[in-house]
Amino acid sequence: MSSENLPPPPSMAAAARTARRAGAPPRTALAIVLGRASGGLARRLGISGGTSLPGLVAQYADPQLIRRLAAQAQHGCVVVTGTNGKTTTSGLVAYTLRAAGLRIWRNREGSNLARGIATTLLRRAGASGRLADGGDGAFVLEVDEAAFARIATDLQPRVVLVTNLFRDQLDRYGEVDTVAERWRASLRTLPATTILALNADDPAVAALGDGYAGTTLYYGVEQTPTHADSDSVAQVIDTRTCPRCRTPLTFAPRFYSHIGHWACPGCGYSRPTPQVRAQVISAGLDASRFLLETPQGAAEVSVGLPGLYNVYNALAAATAGVAMAAPLDAIVTGLARFTPAFGRAEEIVADGRKIRILLAKNPTGLNEVLRALSSDHAAGKKRLLMLLNDRAADGEDVSWIWDADFEQLAGATSYLGAGGMRAYDLALRLKYIGDEPQDVEPEIGVALARALEKTPSGETLYIIPTYTAMLAVRSELERRGYAPRYWEQEDA
Amino acid sequence: MPESSDTLTPELRIGHLYPDQLNMYGDRGNIITLRQRCAWRGVTLRHITLDLGETLRPDDYDLLFIGGGQDKEQDEVARDLREVKASALREAVESDMPVLGVCGGYQLLAKFYRPAEGPELEGIGILDAWTIHKGKAVARCIGNVALQWGEQTLVGFENHGGRTYLGAGAQPLGRVLAGHGNNSEDHQEGCVYRNTYGTYLHGSLLPKNPHLADHLIRLALRRRYGADADRYMTPLDDTREWQAHDAMLRRLGVTPRHEAAAVSL
Repeated sequence: MSSENLPPPPSMAAAARTARRAGAPPRTALAIVLGRASGGLARRLGISGGTSLPGLVAQYADPQLIRRLAAQAQHGCVVVTGTNGKTTTSGLVAYTLRAAGLRIWRNREGSNLARGIATTLLRRAGASGRLADGGDGAFVLEVDEAAFARIATDLQPRVVLVTNLFRDQLDRYGEVDTVAERWRASLRTLPATTILALNADDPAVAALGDGYAGTTLYYGVEQTPTHADSDSVAQVIDTRTCPRCRTPLTFAPRFYSHIGHWACPGCGYSRPTPQVRAQVISAGLDASRFLLETPQGAAEVSVGLPGLYNVYNALAAATAGVAMAAPLDAIVTGLARFTPAFGRAEEIVADGRKIRILLAKNPTGLNEVLRALSSDHAAGKKRLLMLLNDRAADGEDVSWIWDADFEQLAGATSYLGAGGMRAYDLALRLKYIGDEPQDVEPEIGVALARALEKTPSGETLYIIPTYTAMLAVRSELERRGYAPRYWEQEDA
Repeated sequence: MPESSDTLTPELRIGHLYPDQLNMYGDRGNIITLRQRCAWRGVTLRHITLDLGETLRPDDYDLLFIGGGQDKEQDEVARDLREVKASALREAVESDMPVLGVCGGYQLLAKFYRPAEGPELEGIGILDAWTIHKGKAVARCIGNVALQWGEQTLVGFENHGGRTYLGAGAQPLGRVLAGHGNNSEDHQEGCVYRNTYGTYLHGSLLPKNPHLADHLIRLALRRRYGADADRYMTPLDDTREWQAHDAMLRRLGVTPRHEAAAVSL
């Protein structure tokens, strides 16, 4: 929703009066007023999309803000965390639950740290400190994997949905094991009424259900027509030892990275049998189809998203739907209606050309995007612009591009451009697969202009950016009038 | 032992130690770079993995690589290194086989790693160096690095919690121009003994430092085929490599100095 539609902030004295009448702590009301005022100010000054500052200010005024507001949602909170697919998956969950008739509030701007969550919550609250519509709705919140441990307890979620755990920005998050251990510790602080929805095919994620006191729903892919190759010099596999006894795991089959049907030859621990399953029919660049099997029955699902990794996202969302008691037909309808979130597989039309942005922020994510791109032979060779930044939100260490299987891209492009702050690193990586990029340009605006020049009308330009490169390319497209400002998009 | 260098396509064999356990931080980029730079010169680089429990026979390899991993994996690797491979590895090092250890691999080639808590991890002591983790209150050494390496520069990215110190006679790989290096105190980075190189630099290390990659290849070729092996070291067009190298130097405020030297490679 747009900030212009928000009511003007009332005076602080008025806010305090309203709060006293409603019986909410004055501190919460004050926090909301201050938070909103700071957001309005930030926007007027053009500082940012205003997705973090209000929450930051409001949390300072009332450290209990998240707890107090989240508790008022009548249908609770669905928290989505994991390394890859959080934004897409939480979008899919929102569509699914809306199709089931629930009012959904979410942090759709990809603002997933504590302050972003606080901003989302306070925007749904009145100056009384009460949620709008009497709290008749549910929050669907994507939460950063490192922030999860700190705010899960405050949110007291009805459902915790975990997508996967991959190597991502080690300089920021620490090692994969550390993240898994923190998650496990914070899950122990949740009430037994919280339902865990876990990826059975990811050993580290599945093991989170080990010894959990409440209900766990597992989801997994039963079979798929496409498989991972295994001839790489050193496969990028982050979790290859048993979560219980550390014996190397075996996979039969392995779908990609460490995702598959795993078993431990040492202690016998193996992939839990999922209650929610996918039999994949096709996983192409434009859409995926699979047979969804749930305890309520089976139905064919079609999602307008590329690749097997998005089948996992859709399957995860369906599992959250099951956990929230959504009917199967609502789940299927919701998944089919989904349009991609900001910067994730979204399609933009630019003077007769199509632009598809496929976010990739770590080797596994990039491998899956590259695989979807290179295995789609229907439209011939692709025009591709890759953008690599190394700001804190991207990961300052770009080593991971050498772990990603760029090799599968060799010969698959008719135009290849490298851009972003580490354009030269990217160009070097491409040199080592034997594909020299035509354009190498650190300035993202210039890189985009060159790529668009080489994309005739009616053709598609694929852009694979890291996170902040995606923000930059979006703002370039906005400047050219090709895409709406993201905070002005309808909160679908 | 090797055949006459005149008759066959030259070949090098790289032993990659513990690729399943030590595979962090783009170590694959080092292998890709060595293999491709050999291939461009008509040299075949055979990649052979050396896993836990496997015996290391020095005669089967021309160079060795050992990367970095997560803490829990470092334990079992250190044990295997000590109990299964130590004497053969020492023999390889003393016979001037080029060995590259990055990050965790560097620490394991040294004497010991003392964590903030828990037991000391014993290395194999090939490098006269040791590492001390001073606890979570002391910040990790994270960020881009530039080193002075002889007349030239090296660039990379470091991410290590432990501080490494060198013995009195030990030789560092380079002098820190920007970044932390071994310990953020003495401006030294890495450690070199004979043809064994230990360093914290990844990024990956070798793609953006083609002169170091070629140095290792040259050492391996000479050791296997004798001094005239240098004829295999045909110059390559490293424009892209130096673009990436120089871009990082400039960002770190270091003036690129190798341009003249690069031509003579």
